[in-house]
Parts: sequence; structure tokens; C-alpha cells
Amino acid sequence: MSLDGALTRRPRGAWLRLPRVWRSPLAVVGAAIAVAWLVVAVSAPAWVPYPPDAQQLPRLSPPGEGTLLGTDALGRDVFSRLMTGASTTIPLALGLVVASAVIGVVVGAVAGWFGGWVDEALMRLTDLVMAFPTVILAMVVAASLGPSLYNAVIAAVVVSWPQYARVTRSLVLGLRTLNYVVAGRLLGRSPVTSLVVDVAPNVVGPVVVLATLDVGAAVLLLSGLSFLGLGAQPPTAEWGSMISGALANFDAWWIGTFPGLAILTVVMAFNFLGDALRDAVDPTSRTERTAVGVASAPQSVELPVEEDRP
Amino acid sequence: MRSPRLLALALGAALALSACSGGNSAQPQGGEGTATSGGSLVVDTAFSLETADPGNTYDPTGNTIAKALYETLVDFKGSDVSTPVPGLASWTQNADATQFTFTLEGGHTFSDGSPVEASDVVFTMQRVQGMKEAKPNFLLNGITVEQVDDTTVRFTSATPSLQLPAILANPALGIVNADVVKEHGGTTDGSDTAKAYLDTASAGSGPFVLDAFDVTSQVVLKRNPKYEGDEAPGYDRVVVRNTSESATQLINLQGGDSQVALDLNGDQVTQLKDGFTVASVPSASTIFLLVNQDPAVGGITANAQFAAAVRSALDYSSLLELAGAGAVQATGVIPPGFTGALPTGATQDLAASKAALAASGYDGSTIRLQYPNDYPVGGVEFTPLAERVQSQLKAAGINVELAPAPIATELDAYVAGKEGFSMWFWGPDYADSANFLPFGPGLKVGLRAGWTVEAAPQIAQLATTAGSATDPAAREGDFAAFAQALQEQGPFVPLIVPGSNIATANTVTGAAYNSVWTVDLAELKPTA
Amino acid sequence: MLLLLGVTLVTFTLTNLVPGDPIAAALGEGAAANPATVQAYVERYGLDDPLPVQYLTYLGNLAHGDLGRSLATGRPVASDLATAVPATIEIAVCAVVVSLLVATALGTVAAHRRNLVTDQVVRVVSLIGLSLPTFWLALVAYDLFFRRLGIAPGSGRLSPSLTPPPTITGLYTVDFMLDGDSVGFVDAAAHLALPVGVLSLFTIGLLTRFIRTSVLEVLDSEYVRAARAKGLGPGRVVVGYVLRGASLPILTVVGIAFGSLLSGTVLVESVFAWPGLGTYAYQAASNLDLPGIMGVGLVVGVIYLVLNLIVDVLYGVLDPRVRLA
Repeated sequence: MSLDGALTRRPRGAWLRLPRVWRSPLAVVGAAIAVAWLVVAVSAPAWVPYPPDAQQLPRLSPPGEGTLLGTDALGRDVFSRLMTGASTTIPLALGLVVASAVIGVVVGAVAGWFGGWVDEALMRLTDLVMAFPTVILAMVVAASLGPSLYNAVIAAVVVSWPQYARVTRSLVLGLRTLNYVVAGRLLGRSPVTSLVVDVAPNVVGPVVVLATLDVGAAVLLLSGLSFLGLGAQPPTAEWGSMISGALANFDAWWIGTFPGLAILTVVMAFNFLGDALRDAVDPTSRTERTAVGVASAPQSVELPVEEDRP
Repeated sequence: MRSPRLLALALGAALALSACSGGNSAQPQGGEGTATSGGSLVVDTAFSLETADPGNTYDPTGNTIAKALYETLVDFKGSDVSTPVPGLASWTQNADATQFTFTLEGGHTFSDGSPVEASDVVFTMQRVQGMKEAKPNFLLNGITVEQVDDTTVRFTSATPSLQLPAILANPALGIVNADVVKEHGGTTDGSDTAKAYLDTASAGSGPFVLDAFDVTSQVVLKRNPKYEGDEAPGYDRVVVRNTSESATQLINLQGGDSQVALDLNGDQVTQLKDGFTVASVPSASTIFLLVNQDPAVGGITANAQFAAAVRSALDYSSLLELAGAGAVQATGVIPPGFTGALPTGATQDLAASKAALAASGYDGSTIRLQYPNDYPVGGVEFTPLAERVQSQLKAAGINVELAPAPIATELDAYVAGKEGFSMWFWGPDYADSANFLPFGPGLKVGLRAGWTVEAAPQIAQLATTAGSATDPAAREGDFAAFAQALQEQGPFVPLIVPGSNIATANTVTGAAYNSVWTVDLAELKPTA
Repeated sequence: MLLLLGVTLVTFTLTNLVPGDPIAAALGEGAAANPATVQAYVERYGLDDPLPVQYLTYLGNLAHGDLGRSLATGRPVASDLATAVPATIEIAVCAVVVSLLVATALGTVAAHRRNLVTDQVVRVVSLIGLSLPTFWLALVAYDLFFRRLGIAPGSGRLSPSLTPPPTITGLYTVDFMLDGDSVGFVDAAAHLALPVGVLSLFTIGLLTRFIRTSVLEVLDSEYVRAARAKGLGPGRVVVGYVLRGASLPILTVVGIAFGSLLSGTVLVESVFAWPGLGTYAYQAASNLDLPGIMGVGLVVGVIYLVLNLIVDVLYGVLDPRVRLA
């Protein structure tokens, strides 16, 4: 199935057939876990047994001895911090994905729609950012801005938008010459109107898939930066910093194990969900492959993106 | 039908996996090998190391290495850094402590067999004095070094310097073989290029010689066959290995991968059960809160009552709990064990704190507490400590926001006196109470807290008196008076003197913590 | 080339935004209070020049292969990187090889059993692999396999009782092999096992999905059907036709996986005390060590370019049509 085939057979609005996705148990499990964590994220401060910063319990007491999941080196309740941590990480991860997607889609759409030197310049910039391993670039950005959770989010946005730009550009490039888009232009639509009315709806589906899959990556990146001390600052309850706090007290396995499992379950939930969505929208993973710059199946061999670089 | 083929494919993948990774043959061989041979010792520490050239060294790990490779004129025995004892030389001083004459004991030889002579001593000192960008350069500021004869060297200073012998015990001033170092670019006029050579080979008279040096991973020392001193090493080979996480050090020690761990914190040493020995003593470093006295920098913190409110708001025993084994409460800016240290420290008094806070006019606004978050001192992490200080101050009505940063970004603001409220540490540059006088008004650390001579002229006078004392008995009283005045009116709230824990497997004896060089590797011996 | 220039410019700009002052950090408190020392230091590194001049000086030195001197270690960045890069390459190459083999097996099996239980299991496993926080997994693995079970060796690249092999490639396993030292080889390989294992899990998750899709596409293709129709055995079809057909997309994904491994190593190396690029990058970033950070950026850029070059060349080898283009 070639690009053109796929697009002509599923013109605008095709992604609205999403409900099919719920036939996949993966989606149901993922959605259930994700919703559960979202509920926790919203409501945790109201019902956790102890304030997340309260240092009133015995230090380093194991799970079951007075508290559900034990206490940390300062005598804080691990369970309360774990639950509060959800309201720190999850909204920020979602926000950062939305921000990266918006930036990426705008850049990609502009590049694909206008082409020429604009395209060339924007895509070189995209390549430049993608040449850096994400964590290393985010580390440099976060260190430069000064460590804080919000700066970590900015750093993460800086490294995350290019994949959306690539996908959007490739979709827009494909759509630009399709008959119905050209027809729209001939009917007198301005380039911007045409972009919004005829092109945008076909971009939304793949971008939503990519964004859902990216939530997991965002959680991993944020908690990884916090693990390195470049994200959440004390005494904020954040999963990555909880794990780094566990380093000094290895025998107190409960301090680090539960935040690790929390990260795992959240990321897994969004990955399940995203994977099922992708099955419904984009069974051949074209989107994701474009995002990372992979040529598609052998029927449509393309040179890698760097082929024309000086 | 197609399953067997696929199975074979999967099997092939698994085989390749084990070929690439060494598979299941992974055994902690190093641990077993070193434990049985007895000739080799592995020491784990978080490296703070730049070079093996003593003249350029001023880091904890660098000092440990330099101590093993080079001998100094003056020495300390074990953990006691209050009494300098003769090393390569014994000395006499004049009445006003401005002139010190060192006489080489003789009989010591460098690793190439040549004897240690007065000319080597003079070259060593003048080389450090010449290298303006070398970190230990400041140790010899204002000192003139001259050779008297083949075995005698004279040190002269303009002002009384009772602390000079203690300074000369610093491994950075370890005596190098002048001929060898000159041959490889050593000079005394600042154009010295011998560092590169000294990173590949040692040129000293210490118990060890340098075998391999890698600034990021490990330093390998081997026995110096020409060593003539009285601290012959217990091991033929010592590997000092960079293990940045203390948790990993603990795991390595427990797993037999190493025999000595230098950076375990108090909680970690309590996890070591049978089969391990822990030497815990208070280190010489003090962790303190700085309360800036300059209203332009700190605002409300500049009010004298505010520092008093903070001082009596804290529950010191609860802070100490976080520091674990070996740590003690800081009784003042002079840590226990040093001349003039106070017997007891501040205590919590919430009523007094509230009264002082009210008198200061504090309006409940949030104050930033700055501190370095990547630099544990004596195994004490600053972050949990700051979190607990924050929580205790909150209970006393002071709202604090934590503002940690890597020491690289934070140090500059601190040194420049631009921090209103911060948590720092102070370790002596050399083992003498004169090292704590900089806390005084108008002096190095005092100025970092915006504390000028005009703000506290009497205390400034106390510092001057203590600094110029030449009689040991009077000196102790002077230092104590200085420390007491700071506890009452100073802009510092000393919190904790962290413990220094040297954890060793029971196969090793002789570990003693020394605040200057952490551990003397030659003193470590295999258990008989 | 343009890319590398961009990398240096971006890194240089970013690091100079930093409010901190590397002098105090690099010299330590005692020496930073000594004006003569500070002055000598500033002159030596040209820190008092205006920023554009500093940047041009850097580029000029770069042209001679001089990456400057690390503010953090006091050694030339080039020689720091010369030891750090092979250490990371060793992990990354092993992890890529391991992941590729495992993922190919899993992906091929899953594609053949499309939508059956096996396929679903493989899918869930690979998604879980993608969801594991590597820094946490590294800690758990180290605690479990080294400390509790005692079947893995300790941290670092080599047991401390052994001396590193003579440097030829910088990869300990290869150098030991060239040196004919089997004890050293086994030890170095054993030290690789845990970091490689931990890193591979993520990459396996990443690759399996792509390989499954690529294989599926090929399975639908005419020439595979034709091969089947000719009566070729399933094994020969898989190896000779399917994997060969799917090799191009797989190849590109491997290049990308390698890049993601470089990210993973930052977090994993710190746990395993592995003296590689990740550890160096972190150390440089937290010390505001500008030459160090720039060096890392350059090396990473070079690795990226070399990878693309290799991928291009292999494309040509695997698919003659590309060569014509």
C-alpha cells in the first residue's frame, strides 16, 4: 500500500472511525490504567493519608509497619508522595506533548506547504535537533536554564517537536497535490484556508497517534531529568527524584521500587493506548516511521533524508 | 513446520547475545582474586581528582594519591591533625613564629634510589610558588623558602604563622625529586610543564609509585621498592577506583568487589553487618546556614534578630539523625577536635525563636534557601538536610523555598556574597584552627555573609587576637572566645559536623580517617 | 559539515546562557580566592575575550584537531573523549547487536502469527520494554544480579585486579582479543552484560514493532508469495526473501536505535560507573565545562553523520536500485 493509495482511500475525516480501537483489549487496559492515574493525579492531594512533605513518621520504616508503602529517609510517607507525584508528572507530561505537537505541526505544515527555502531551512533545523540524543540535549538545555521542573519541560519540548514536524511535513507534501485540495484552491480558497480546511483534518489523526505514544516518552524524559537533578526540585514529590533519593538508601528497596513501577505503569498505559490507536488509524506505522526518518517498505525505496546534504 | 526454523533463529539470537555479553560466565572474579591474593587492595571513592602531580593537586582524592606517592616535611599520626609531627624533617621556630628551620632526618630515598636532599625541598616549594595557576599556590603565600645547607631549609614569613608546620603536612607540598622533575619540564618560574610527566609516573619518596593513572576511572599504585620510611605499605598493589554513587560503593564492598569504601553515608554503614569494620569519626568540615547581613542582598535576613530566630528554631538532634554514624552537632564554627572548639552547641527554643522573629519584623514572606545539591560532604546529602531545615523553620513560622543548584553554578554566588540565605560547608585548607578565623567579620567567609568589620568591631578584634597569638595556651582561649561570640551574634548557624566513615572488609586493618588526606593508603594492612 | 558547525554554535550559545561562573567551580574555593590563580586561569582559557571571539578561537583550534582543555578535568577534551567514546561505543554496539537479533526473532515470529496469541504477547512485551525507565531498571538489575544473586560482576569496565589491555581500538573486549588475553576478554565481556542487557530491553521494544511491520509488508508481496508457491521451505523464505526484503527499513531503524542508545547510556552509565560519553556529558554539563560539552556535541554529531553514511552505503549494497540513483 503506497502513500497515495492510503490517502486517497481514507480522505478527510477517516480518523473519526476511531471507535474500532476499543475492540482491542490493549486499548481497554491502557485506557483503564491511564484514566485511573489521571483520576489520582487530579484528586490525590485531597485524600492521601499524609501531606507529601510531612516528616512526622519514623525514618526508613518498611511497608506494612504503620504505612502502606513505607517511609523514606526523612520519615515521609512513600504512598502519599507516590500519589502526589502523579499530579506533578502527568499534567506536565501532557502539557509538554501538546506544546511539542503544536510547535511541530506548525513548523511541519509551513515547511511542507510553502516548500522552497523555507522548507529547506526548517528541515535542516529539525535535522540539527534530531542529531542530538534527546537526553544529552535536554540535559544541556536544562543545565543552561537552571534546574527546575518547568525548565525541564521546556528542555523536553525543545527536543520533542521535530518528530511532529517531520510527520506533518510529509503528510502535507503528499496532500498538497491531491485533486480535492487542488480543486479547493481552484475554487478560490486562500493558501491558509486551504491548509486549515482541506489539509489539516488529514493531519490530525496521525498526529494524535504520535502524541499518545509520546506521552510515555515524555514521562520517561521528565522523570529521567529529575533523576539527574535537572527537573523537579525538593521537596516536590516527583517519581524520578524519588528514585534518585533511593540511591543513597539501597536497602530501603521500597523508596525506589514503587516510583519505578508508577512510571512503568503510566508509560505502559499510554503506549498500549497509542499502539491500539495506531492500529486503527495507521496500520503500517507510516507515521511513526516518518517521525524517526525511516524509509517505508521496499516498494517505495527512498534515500535517507541526509542524502542531499552537502 | 516453520516453528523449528524460527526456534533456531531465536536460538541463534540468544547465542549471539551471550557471545556479545559474556553470557552467564559473569563472575565477580575481581572480588575473589583480590581477597585471596592479599597482595592487592581495591579502594572505592567518588573521584575528586585532576592530576597525580602534587604541586597541582588540591582535591580530596588527589591528596590521598599524593600522600601515597610523596612524603612531606611534616606529618600527622592517624586521625590526629591537631599535632604536627616530624615527617621528612624536624623543625625549630623562633619566638614570634616568623622563622622555621627544618632539618632533614636523612636516609629517605626517591623511587629512583637517589637521596632526598634540601635542594629537592627548596625546588618543590619554589615550583609551587612559581605556578600561579596551581590550586595549592596560595598555601605558601607570603613565605620565603631558602636552602641553608644540604640538610637544612629555612621558611620565613613576615607575620607570625604558627600554622606553617600544619600547612607543610599538606600532600600538595610533598617533596618531588628535583632532578627528575626538571628533566621533564619542571621549573620554578611558572613555566613548569612537568605535570604531564607526573601524571604518568611518580617522582617521590613515598611508600608507593604510580603504576597507571586515569583521571576518570582509576589510579593504580604499586609498592615503591626503594622506600626507606617507617610506613611500609601492606599491599603490593592498590587500586583507587572511581565509583561515583555511594550506593554502588556499598554494593561493591558487600559483594567483595572492593575492600575499602570511602564515601558511605551514615545510613549505609549501619547496613554493613558482620565481616566489615567501620571507622567513624567526625570530619573537619562543618555544614552551616549563612544568613546574609547585607540588606541589599538578603533583605529581612540582615536583621540580627532573624539569625537568632533561625538558630533557636532548629531541632539539631533531628538534623543530626540524617547524618548518621560519626556525625556530631556543630558546636560552633570550630569543629570538635580543633583548638578552641566549644563544648556544646545551640539548642532548640521555639519560644525564643518566635520572640526573635517577631522582633525582626519578618512578615511571613517566602525566603529562598540556596545550596549545592550535587556535593555530599562526609556522606551527608544536602537535599534531605535542607528539606528538614525547611520543614522545621516552617513549624517556627519561617517560610522557606528550596533553591538547589549544582555546586558549579552555586559556588560563584556564594563566594561573591550574593546569597541571602544558604547552606554551605567549610573544610579546613590545612589542619589548624586558624582556618576557621575566616568566619570573622570582614574576612573571607564573613564577607560572603555580608558581614563587615564595622558591623561587629569587637568580634573582628577577637579574630585578630586569635590569629596573631604565639603562645599555645593563650591561643586556645582566644579561639574559644572567637567561637563563642560567633555563636551569639554571628550570621552563621552551624548545623552538623558530618562523620567520616571509612568502611573496610575485615580482611583489611589500619583504616583511620584523616581530614587532610582522607586515608593513608600505606597504613592499610591485610589482617594477619 | 554544516551540521557540525550548527552543533557547535548551538552548544556554545546554550552554555553561555548559564548564569554560573566556571572559574570558582573549576578552581575550588581556596584557589578561587587567590587573584593570581584566577588571573592566570582566565588568560589561559581566554575567558576574558568577547564571546564571538571565544567562539572563533574555538573553531580555529578545532581546525587543528584541538578541542580545548576541559575545565572540569583539566585535561585536553580530545584525550578525555578518546577514552570515553570507545567505552560507550562498546556498550552501544553490543546493545544494538543483541537487540537486533532478539527483535528480528520476535518481530518475524509475530508477523508470521499475525493477530494470534504469540503476536499479542510479543506486542505486549515490546511495549513494556519501551515503557521501562532505564535508570530505575539499571539500579534494580545491579542490586539483583550483583548484590543479591552475585552472578554479575561489579561496576566499571573491568575487575580492578586486571590491567586494561593495550589500547588499539579502545574497546576492551576487542583489545583483549587482539592481545590474546582470554581472562581479560571474559572479564570485560562480563562487565558488559548488565549495562547491555538493560539498554537492550528498550531497543528491543523499539525494533520489534518496526520489524514486525516491515516483515508483514514483505510477506504480502508478490515475490514472497511466488517463493512460497515454488515450494521453498519456510526457513529459506524467511531468511532468503522476507528478511532480505525487510532489511532496508530495518537498517534505518537500527541507525535510529543507535542514537536512542546514546541517550539511554547517560542514565545507565552513572549507575554502572561506566566511564563513557554519558558520564562525561553529565559531568561536563553539571560543571558548566564548555569545552567538554562542545566536545560531546561534536562527537555525537560525527557519530550521527557516520551512522547515516554507513546506512547509505549498506542501502546501496542491499538494494541495487539505490546505487543507480
